[in-house]
Amino acid sequence: MAATTSAPPSPAPRAGQVRARLRRARRRHHETSLGDVLTDVYVVVLFVAMYGWFGLTAVRRYLDSPAGVPGDPGERYWIAVAAALAATGLAWRILREAGPLLVSPAAQSWLFSAPVNRAALLLPRAAALVGATALGAGLLGLGAAVVAGPDRPVDLLWSALAGAASGTVAVAGAVVAQAAPRDPRWARLVDRVLLGSAGAVALLVVTGHLLDRPVPELSLPLTAAVAVLGVPVAGWAVRRAYRALGRVDRASLISGGQFAGAATSAAVLLDPTMIENLVQRRRWRSIGRVRRRPLRRGGRFAVLVGAELRRLRRHPGALPVWAALLLTMYAVAVALPASAGSWQVVLGYLAADRLTGGLRTVSRSAGLRRTLGGSDTLLRLAHVVVPAVGALVWYAATLPVVRPTVGPVDGLLLAGIVAAAYRTATRPPMRYDGPIVDTPVAMIPVDLVRRVVRGPDLVAVLVLVQLLLT
Amino acid sequence: MDILTVRGLTRRFGELVVLDDVHFGLTAGRLAVVAGPNGSGKTTLLRCVVGSDRPDEGEVLIDGKPCHETDPEVRAVLAAALDDIDFFPDLSVAEHLELVAYAHGGAAQPVAEILAELDLDRVADQLPVTLSSGQRQRLTLASCFVRPRRLLVLDEPEQRLDGRGRAWLADRLLREKAAGTAVLMASHDADLIAEVADDRIEVGG
Repeated sequence: MAATTSAPPSPAPRAGQVRARLRRARRRHHETSLGDVLTDVYVVVLFVAMYGWFGLTAVRRYLDSPAGVPGDPGERYWIAVAAALAATGLAWRILREAGPLLVSPAAQSWLFSAPVNRAALLLPRAAALVGATALGAGLLGLGAAVVAGPDRPVDLLWSALAGAASGTVAVAGAVVAQAAPRDPRWARLVDRVLLGSAGAVALLVVTGHLLDRPVPELSLPLTAAVAVLGVPVAGWAVRRAYRALGRVDRASLISGGQFAGAATSAAVLLDPTMIENLVQRRRWRSIGRVRRRPLRRGGRFAVLVGAELRRLRRHPGALPVWAALLLTMYAVAVALPASAGSWQVVLGYLAADRLTGGLRTVSRSAGLRRTLGGSDTLLRLAHVVVPAVGALVWYAATLPVVRPTVGPVDGLLLAGIVAAAYRTATRPPMRYDGPIVDTPVAMIPVDLVRRVVRGPDLVAVLVLVQLLLT
Repeated sequence: MDILTVRGLTRRFGELVVLDDVHFGLTAGRLAVVAGPNGSGKTTLLRCVVGSDRPDEGEVLIDGKPCHETDPEVRAVLAAALDDIDFFPDLSVAEHLELVAYAHGGAAQPVAEILAELDLDRVADQLPVTLSSGQRQRLTLASCFVRPRRLLVLDEPEQRLDGRGRAWLADRLLREKAAGTAVLMASHDADLIAEVADDRIEVGG
């Protein structure tokens, strides 16, 4: 029997034909009716509308309450601009990490290896992605305008349009970057410009506030300007993305598929560390090799702390995020001075949590603890030194904008913040054999709830303590 | 002319150089085995050739033209079985192969023939989750043979195959060569290499 290796006598089928064949084959095993699809869509729309409205109302109520008493309007305006820039920068980074175009690993293996037109194969999901992003970003813009309490309804329209245009530009730009043969320099520059300018604006406002020189509000209607400029740019970006579809290669689709898999697992298990682990793995791989130096001699405790400090220096994101949270605390204290104390607890917890990488690793691996030797208590204590010192420095650095004097309550709050970070980092592994609660949303394992609230529960208590004692 | 040409291919992970300036060519009907110890970059080299990874420097040519994975002509020529394969959970073994055959224009050995050759006909209607690791490996290999090809790229194809499966693999590779297919393969199986390899590409040495 000879192997057949000649080129195909008939051309490969069109993308639509292949998709239709795959759909037909899958329907043979499980029928999904139009009614099922519409029900799913209805449930999603209902949840988004319900919780979106609940969120908007809660934020508005908070801003109208005594705790939300604003600072200087000009400073608050610029802090909002910095927050919008930071949110856009983070969204851009997530889009680039996720792909943004992605296909399942099975489709990559069995469909995308065929000589079918790549652009045609990707077009439906690209159109859905751009449409969904424009809609979502438009709703976010609308929500932001509702929260800010605009004077005129036309402001709502401008804000929604600005959000939709920005979202479309971001997602279409990310597709163009994905289609580039190597990670393009302009894409990295966009990331740095957005996050850098967010930091610079926040720093300027905070410095002006501390020097008693508030920054005046811009007279230009910013959302209208972004909308007017953004809509034609969005149209241009979508055209560029459409032309780039045929160049999106398998390497970038694989990368996006891994991110989507981790995101799905994280959403199902309500555990964002799964995405974090993937992002970390990629970053460590991009570093590849590090310089080896002997650890300083000492007892087991000292060596473990030394190793933790060395890992921290190599950690690409821990310290910058810790510093960014410091700046965020100052910005929040300028924009919402009445609730700075509560924010200090929440942001302090997040800052300490960023430094608990070592604690997480030893806590989840019994094998690693056995290998390192010593008691579990000693190992956990050694790995809590860095987050504790980090929390102490962070807390001390933010005190001047929160309270004029230092008291016993600060000691209590600081200890609570470290304990909350410790609780989060030492979450036991998920157990699926425990009791399950039937909720209106779904059947939820009790252990899942216990895992999710372990850490944040203590933060909530600390916020209450802070409100009562200060 | 070489079907596959690799020139100056370099792949780094940060400061770690995994592949450094790799050169080789492969003509029709020859089989080159990529050899090297664990971690030497064999799989990375194969991934760069098929377009699952992007080299930092160098180029991969197919029939003398730069190989872009997004080009349908390249995908029509190149069949690959690497360790990154995944399966549709709701498609049977036969349906997977029929889909590949259809998407490639339906011109190769009939699916039934390949199923029988790989001893998969007994499990043709089973879903992937019910297969053993050896049967999954056979299905992965089968995906290369139900479609036309001129270049075959295989990453340790002998893995998880039993003795009979390994004998079949050696025979199949010899037939592929006889039919004019160029084969690039990573393997640790000395007997298989001795039986089928024409050239040896050392990496990580």
